[in-house]
Amino acid sequence: MPKSIQENICEERLFSSIFNKYAKDLHNFLYYKFGEELNPKDKVQEAFVKLWENCAKVTPEKAKSFVFTTANNLMLNEAAHQKVILKYRQTKPKTHTNENPEFLMQENEYRKKLQQALANLTDAQREAFLMNRVEGKRFKEIAELLDISTKAVEKRIYGALEKLKKDIKEL
Amino acid sequence: MEREQLILKWLKNELNHEELKAFKKLEDYNDLIQLNNALETFKSEEYNTAEALDLVLNTIKSKKTSTSWIKNIIRVAAVLVISFGPYYYTTTLDTKYSTDVAQKSLIELPDQSIVNLNAQSTLIFNKSDWKKEREVNLSGEAFFKVSKGSSFLVKTKTGVVTVYGTEFNVKQREQFFEIICYEGLVGVTYNSQETKLKPGDSFLILDGKFIAKEKENNLEPSWLNNESSFKSLPYKQVIAEFERQYGVNTTLINVDKNQLFTGSFTHNNLELALKSITLPLHITYSKTNDAIILKGE
Repeated sequence: MPKSIQENICEERLFSSIFNKYAKDLHNFLYYKFGEELNPKDKVQEAFVKLWENCAKVTPEKAKSFVFTTANNLMLNEAAHQKVILKYRQTKPKTHTNENPEFLMQENEYRKKLQQALANLTDAQREAFLMNRVEGKRFKEIAELLDISTKAVEKRIYGALEKLKKDIKEL
Repeated sequence: MEREQLILKWLKNELNHEELKAFKKLEDYNDLIQLNNALETFKSEEYNTAEALDLVLNTIKSKKTSTSWIKNIIRVAAVLVISFGPYYYTTTLDTKYSTDVAQKSLIELPDQSIVNLNAQSTLIFNKSDWKKEREVNLSGEAFFKVSKGSSFLVKTKTGVVTVYGTEFNVKQREQFFEIICYEGLVGVTYNSQETKLKPGDSFLILDGKFIAKEKENNLEPSWLNNESSFKSLPYKQVIAEFERQYGVNTTLINVDKNQLFTGSFTHNNLELALKSITLPLHITYSKTNDAIILKGE
């Protein structure tokens, strides 16, 4: 066990290392859960400034929960929760392509449906599912970030996958 | 293996060779792969951790300096309060002069008015307010020589003396309130009624009653020359004044405290003073330490 009693994160070096460890995950978590509209980058910044202001009270072990909870609350305070429409990138037009225009059109249609389907997921499903699929986070890592069990992560992700498939078919 | 198990293993990237084959045979294999590939385009913007950290650290530092700036101002303010506070406090504080028994004091007020304070008396005034209003609080007896200027007030428990002129004596003791004007004009407010005194006039309240007195011929009260004089005053007032001047206790046996006494006693010679206040009334006296016993016939 590290001696957490004497340590606090008021020291800039320790604070920076905590930032480097969690800031990106926190940003992605906020992004997939709430979308881009509510400025996840700003919320990450605000949460860490709050962490610094409370640095004497928060142990390094508690720092992660602190910033995740704080950022989450900042998001919830911001606005009544609306449907989260995530942006997708257009695939760059390739100079040489074997794909015919019809295929490209279908692909675009498909993405629109997927976007709609993602918006229909619950926040919990969407954040876990995209952290795994897009960010390549392992189940265990997600469980640690969200302070839930691996089993719960499994359930969320599998549930999300099934729901997406069903929604896409129906749309 | 069940479908759900296969899909979970696929999600976890844990499929072995056999399982992969089975997974590929799932009827919705193509759908899953299509879905998975399309998800890639929903990736969030790249998050630049180093840049974001710089931003956070800058915010923290700017906050820190702004608070320390305020702290500095508070520090400066504290020093000012500590250094000038007592100065302000002491300069606006009332000035107080007191005399004990058998003690007299000469006080000069800020406007060079002069106050002679008789024994066991207190005079309080405020130096900083002096320019606005000349006002003193008196308990006991004092003789005032007021220099010219705006109104000058002497406040006592019994009444207020307003000074229009220059020289007067105020005596406020137990059941005794006397003002004698020696020069100029003095107003006495007693029971919210003002009486004006011209030179030689006096104003006396004894046991709550106004006593008329004849004209005063002296130029200043006799106590300034270390002599107390009385004209038709109750004997108890004489004894009280005697005790104040000599710091002694007297016991009266068989003596009428209210009989009137006219005469004077000196402040410098106890033996002589005792004789002056006892012989005319055929009273004998005996002395033990500080206690004096007066015996009537």
